[in-house]
Amino acid sequence: MGMTGMKYAVGLVLAVMVAWTTQSFAADITLAPPTDVTVEDVPNDVGTQMLVKWKASLDELNDASGARALEGYAIFRIVAQTGDGLESIGEQAANASEIGFPANFEFGNIQPIGSVSYGRTEFVDENVEAGTSYLYAVAATGPGDTFSPLAVAGMAVTAQMEYFNEGKFWFLIIMLTISSVIIGFVWYAKRGGEIKVRPIAGLEAVSEAVGRATEMGKPVLFVPGILDINDIQTVAGITVLANVAKTAAQYDAQLKVPTARSLVMTTARETVEAAYLGEGRPDAYNEDNIYYLTDEQFGYTAGVQGVMVREQPAACFYMGAFYAESLILAETANSIGAIQVAGTAMPSQLPFFVAACDYTLIGEEFFAASAYLSNDPEQLGSLKGQDIGKIIAAGLLVVGCTLATLAVTIDTWRGGRIAKLYIEDNILGDEGLVPNEDKVRVIDADIAAELESLSQQPHGGGGDS
Amino acid sequence: MSQIDPEQIKVILATDCGSTTTKAILIEYIDGEYRQTQRGEAPTTVEKPFANVTAGVLNSVSEIGELAGRRLVDDDGHIISPATDSEGCDIYISTSSAGGGLQMMVAGVIAEMTAASAKRAALGAGSIVMDVIAANDGRRPHDQIQRIRDLRPDMILISGGTDGGTTDKVVQIAELVAPAKPQPRFGSSYEMPIIYAGNKEARDAISSVFNEEGFDLQIVDNLRPVLERENLGPARDKIHDIFLEHVMAQAPGYEQLMDWTGAPIMPTPGAVGDILQTVARLQGINVVGVDIGGATTDVFSVFDETFNRTVSANLGMSYSISNVCAEATMPNVLRWVPFDMDERELRNHVKNKMIRPTTIPQTREALMFEQAVAREALRLAYKQHKEFATTLKGVQQQRTVGDTFSQQTGGMTIVDNMKLNLLVASGGVLSHAPRMHQTAMLLIDAFEPEGVTMLAKDSIFMMPHLGVLASVHPKAAEQVFERDCLVYLGTCVCAKGTPKPGKICFKYELSGDCTESGEIGGGELKLIEMGMDDRATITLTPARGIDLGAGPGKKLEREVRGGTVGLILDGRGRPLVLPEDRAACQKTVQGWLDSLDVYAEEKEPVAV
Repeated sequence: MGMTGMKYAVGLVLAVMVAWTTQSFAADITLAPPTDVTVEDVPNDVGTQMLVKWKASLDELNDASGARALEGYAIFRIVAQTGDGLESIGEQAANASEIGFPANFEFGNIQPIGSVSYGRTEFVDENVEAGTSYLYAVAATGPGDTFSPLAVAGMAVTAQMEYFNEGKFWFLIIMLTISSVIIGFVWYAKRGGEIKVRPIAGLEAVSEAVGRATEMGKPVLFVPGILDINDIQTVAGITVLANVAKTAAQYDAQLKVPTARSLVMTTARETVEAAYLGEGRPDAYNEDNIYYLTDEQFGYTAGVQGVMVREQPAACFYMGAFYAESLILAETANSIGAIQVAGTAMPSQLPFFVAACDYTLIGEEFFAASAYLSNDPEQLGSLKGQDIGKIIAAGLLVVGCTLATLAVTIDTWRGGRIAKLYIEDNILGDEGLVPNEDKVRVIDADIAAELESLSQQPHGGGGDS
Repeated sequence: MSQIDPEQIKVILATDCGSTTTKAILIEYIDGEYRQTQRGEAPTTVEKPFANVTAGVLNSVSEIGELAGRRLVDDDGHIISPATDSEGCDIYISTSSAGGGLQMMVAGVIAEMTAASAKRAALGAGSIVMDVIAANDGRRPHDQIQRIRDLRPDMILISGGTDGGTTDKVVQIAELVAPAKPQPRFGSSYEMPIIYAGNKEARDAISSVFNEEGFDLQIVDNLRPVLERENLGPARDKIHDIFLEHVMAQAPGYEQLMDWTGAPIMPTPGAVGDILQTVARLQGINVVGVDIGGATTDVFSVFDETFNRTVSANLGMSYSISNVCAEATMPNVLRWVPFDMDERELRNHVKNKMIRPTTIPQTREALMFEQAVAREALRLAYKQHKEFATTLKGVQQQRTVGDTFSQQTGGMTIVDNMKLNLLVASGGVLSHAPRMHQTAMLLIDAFEPEGVTMLAKDSIFMMPHLGVLASVHPKAAEQVFERDCLVYLGTCVCAKGTPKPGKICFKYELSGDCTESGEIGGGELKLIEMGMDDRATITLTPARGIDLGAGPGKKLEREVRGGTVGLILDGRGRPLVLPEDRAACQKTVQGWLDSLDVYAEEKEPVAV
């Protein structure tokens, strides 16, 4: 067969397929359409969502035999008006009032923007543009790509962007409260007020560890974790390194910093150099003691282990992000009799550090190190303010859990159930300040029904006797 | 000095040559036990015109001889030894703090580690530590050299580095001392004794640094061979040896005195420390002793057989009284006074006391004020002591996962008032208070003992004599300490915690020589009469959160003894908190003083 014959055969196959597809879309429409399609702009968003609602098709409602003909609903949309002017994909675009779905709407020509299964009567279109008007239609779908006639919404609706999300009002209140507390404490600290931060053993032990190394005539080893400088734990580790370097300069101890990232090495060098300069010991600074080993996790671990075994440091600091190497490093340093101080926010590695090291900064302590070491009023005030925020959050958590538990246990207690609803929907959810009246009514009805059923139950009377 | 068989010692003569007074006591073996029988005192004669310490010694000994009807000094002016039935003594021993005592400078690599250990060794040996030089003391080398040059210590103790540890830093410290060429206090031909107790690998280097005229280098074992352990004994012994061989030998008359003594002369505070250690060891108890003087306050403690001594150089009741008021602040002093006082008048009183140290209070108000100052001086001295008496720093810690939220650093204080069994007071303001109740109240307010604690005072400041005696005859020293040295004031039972005013703090029930039961309310003090020889078993049931020694809220049963004051039950809680409001504070303090009958109306202050 020549090329002409081949082309003919392919053309024939395509023609058959198109004919079959058209046939399927144009299948006999026996499904009843949904009714009362309404569309509204979703409030408190940036104008990217529309909520489409409808009443279920009669075919869904009337089905009693279990052989359901209706599978779901398909939602269609056309742009009625863009923000810039009139635009339509409808056939008649002479004016806005004539824009709409054509009477002979071909289901095969326009893909639905979404579909839902039967039982659901609403759909959120999350792919609209703010300022654009849309007209929606819904069709019931059945087996074999059959559709009911389109049920078109009464009017086009424009997606609106709101500057304030009223549903997140509680978020604003909490944020303002915590911010006020932080600002208040910063102000208080700046005016000379005393802000007490509890002693952090791991940071207090820095001088002890460096002192030990000095007395024993051995170096101090600082490991800044295995992640890069863009990780917050590495940054916190470098803050502690500044303090360790300062103490090492005071005591004239040798400080060694092997790194796993080149940028960390550069940062560490600058930090240590600044610390030595600050202590008036630029002569004691040796940049060769801060060096890069490798990016590879276990290559780096092996390298640091080698340093430990060969140079026998008397003090080891692990400050940064650590993974599986944490215990390997800590156990090696323990075996050479070094004082070890660790600090990380990796929850999975903390138990290893606590068990194997002399002192461990856990999570928040590690991040508080900067404020603790610098004694800077702004940082201390911020730290204290954040603590208050955490206390507020913990208090709300306790109150919320208590109320939720009581509301579930005592289901006729209206106050408890409404409080639970309020916490869930308003404080933690998106309902804003005012509780949803519909849901309150549902609760009231539920409680009334519960009380009614209780009143109809026969009284126990204290037993047979 | 020949070794004497302790069993042959029946008559003991002991003197303590203080800066102003030489005190002598006679101890005799009577009815199967050693008792202190006589005491005498005479002015110390180190200064001109006598310029011979033995003159004062002989004067005080002669006084004893007359009182005891025993001839102790022969016609040639020598102490008669050995003893017969009517004359002489079997052994003569002495301590000395004349001429300012033993003054030392210590040095180490790290201030909190080897330098702290060196300071402990020096203080424990009874010296006054003039300064501590360390690599991290924040001073520049030229400042350190200037400081060493300005000081005129009797000797210098250098430590630093563990065995096998740093050599460079220790040599650097030595190289600060050598060019400074510190001059000793006594004698122009005297070579400055240097005790080296550091890294053994640095000995050669240290020897070469001090290999020049003017230094007498003595090398002893490292006082911190590893950071986990202190080895203070060799350094302390060497300090004692040098004190005798060099320092005492330079002081007028001491060479002769050393010939008379049957045991090495000890620095007075060192001897006090020794007797407290001996008693603590023999009785298995924890002891705190305090000696408050005019210029300084010494605090000694023995907790779990670990001895510590501190000298608070600027806390005293005459020369240093102004500093006490400045450091404690006047409001803190006045909180112990239950009436209004004119602050201007008080300041005049303080300055008068400073320039006329021998004056004594003439009115009840003046006595109360002076004792208020004493409370603050003792409180501050004890606070300094707690900060110094710590566990070792730079030591590895062993942890478990359970320690996640309760990690503690090294260097925590070992002074635990709940574990304290005996609190001993000495020094004029405590020993010579008009009423023993005042001494007891001063001790309780200043030291804030917790749980069950015995209170005692050194009757005639006999502890230094007994300290030396303990080195030759520990049994005799302990017997005299127990029977004659200490005047037991009684026992105090103090609640730790925050009792609520008006609510029950603890219940008590006494059985034995004294039978009584009752309740102590929050903020309440109560005195129960118990004689010197009375013993009783007390059963204590504390309220929730209150600890009397067995843990918060836990019942406790203990043996208690009486004394010249009795049994004091203290429900004020610990730490002791006084009301901020002046009127409320006065009322509260007055209530406490009335409870213990501290300033009884019929007892006017008497000369001390």
